[in-house]
Amino acid sequence: MTSKLFRVTITVVLVITAVSLISASAYAQARAANATANTLARTPDGQPKIADGVWNRRGVGGLDQGALEAPDHRPENPLDPTPANPLSVSTRADGLNNVDRGFLEQFSEKLGAGGDDDRPAPRGERRLMGIAEPGRILPWKPDANAARQAFLLKTNPAQGLKYVEMDARCMQPGLFFGNGPFQFLQTEGQVTILSEYQHFTRHIYLDGRPHLPKDIKMFMGDSIGRWEGNTLVVDTTNFNGITAYSREIPYLTDALRTTERFTLTNANTIDYEVTIDDPNQFTRPWKVTGQYTKADDLPELLEYACWEGSITLRNILGEPPRK
Amino acid sequence: MKKHTGFVTSAVIMLCILWLAEISAAAQAAQRRIAGKPDLNGIWQVLNSASWNIQDHNGELGVPPALGVVEGNEIPYRPEAVAKKQENYGKRATADPTEANCYLPGVPRITYMPFPFKITHTPNNIAISYEFNHTLRPIPLDGSPHPETPEENWMGISRGRWEGDTLVVDVRNFNDQTWFDHAGNYHSEQLRVTERYTLMDPDHIMYEATIEDPKVFTRPWKMSMPLYRRKDPNARLLEYECTYYLQEKIYKDAPFFR
Repeated sequence: MTSKLFRVTITVVLVITAVSLISASAYAQARAANATANTLARTPDGQPKIADGVWNRRGVGGLDQGALEAPDHRPENPLDPTPANPLSVSTRADGLNNVDRGFLEQFSEKLGAGGDDDRPAPRGERRLMGIAEPGRILPWKPDANAARQAFLLKTNPAQGLKYVEMDARCMQPGLFFGNGPFQFLQTEGQVTILSEYQHFTRHIYLDGRPHLPKDIKMFMGDSIGRWEGNTLVVDTTNFNGITAYSREIPYLTDALRTTERFTLTNANTIDYEVTIDDPNQFTRPWKVTGQYTKADDLPELLEYACWEGSITLRNILGEPPRK
Repeated sequence: MKKHTGFVTSAVIMLCILWLAEISAAAQAAQRRIAGKPDLNGIWQVLNSASWNIQDHNGELGVPPALGVVEGNEIPYRPEAVAKKQENYGKRATADPTEANCYLPGVPRITYMPFPFKITHTPNNIAISYEFNHTLRPIPLDGSPHPETPEENWMGISRGRWEGDTLVVDVRNFNDQTWFDHAGNYHSEQLRVTERYTLMDPDHIMYEATIEDPKVFTRPWKMSMPLYRRKDPNARLLEYECTYYLQEKIYKDAPFFR
């Protein structure tokens, strides 16, 4: 009797010890994970939480970076290399225009930690944005660059539908046009990005599924992601070969593969980096850096109806014959 | 005899256990909740031909026949509003804003376009992303009022709230440009739509849309239809870029003035 009671007691003690050891170790692990998570909140499925609300982006693409509003904007001749033609793609080795360059430099000067106002940024927190290649020279394959320049020469006036910018056609822009506003929604195993511009949605699956079959081609590509600490890494394939990087790089081919890194640096800032791998046009991948910041003055995404009632194509290409 | 009874009894017990297991699994799935509300995440689609005609209709070339989705099958047009519906019907091949022109379909038509859509549901937000022309509806659940704006929208402005386990979406600020279907049923800018999404079981939502528009109709009227969860193991939202296909067709031989 005594011995039985003893055995029961021992068992109970052992079980309690084991349980407390396990929970202590789980607690320690959770604490360690929390420390790396830099006190960011978590979603129920353990993802670092990207704040609700509206976000803007800077540093990526060309069209929405102010070039179109440049006072001396003369789009008539894309090869005109004079400073008065900020959209020139002419003779520069990198093919990028001077406004693009100037604008990005100005950006890097002005940008503080999570703010784009005119106050000087705190030292050490500036972030250079835009094309992160030495001298912003892109590793063009010569043939591809020549083809691009020949293409651009036919864009204004557009010598056919394929020479009209996707923006003017109201198409989904791919990953590089449109700098917000955006919203990030996180559900179990997914991150969903909503865009006001062209009302597109990016569905980023985190469940380790394979990419879509290669014959499926999409404007926005097929995105598979994973979290590495506080960084959402997104691998995107299945592009359709007709979306642009910017006005100066009017198309990326369907061989395009992008790797994006969204790093949550604090509750209001996501450092963004994208590696652009288009082996049909470039000898190696190249990188662009940008940043998403919370836009607290924007309460919600509104409607961006573009094609509805648009006469842009008629103006560019003429009135289609009536059947 | 006794042996038989024993066999039958155990078979019945086994079946009961299996049945209980099944309903408990279903109940568990049905109980997936987000902030206490039924989890609506997933890819959904209607199984009807309401986008061609929301009322009873026979088959035509390219139009599947169907019984209507309108309660009572009657749309209470004001007497002076009937003529425009008939005019729309007559020119539907070219004038249907959605089918012929690839414009945003409005609400509730976007729901019963014959394409899948994906609901993204978090504690504070619902977004519905539709395969048709990458239409997107953000639906805040934060209790904020509709913006005081005179701006008119193709898809309206949506505000969601929960009534028990039913998601109720109040949609306002519409323009007068969209049609309810290819048959030319229409509305004015005074349209107000109240949608109700009720999860019946893990794979079915009962969808109701109440239509109010005192300029065009004599009373509110209602459509309802089930939404089916896409169960294909590889179900995904792809891209149906209506506008792109249409432009490629219309402007194939452009430019036209040179």
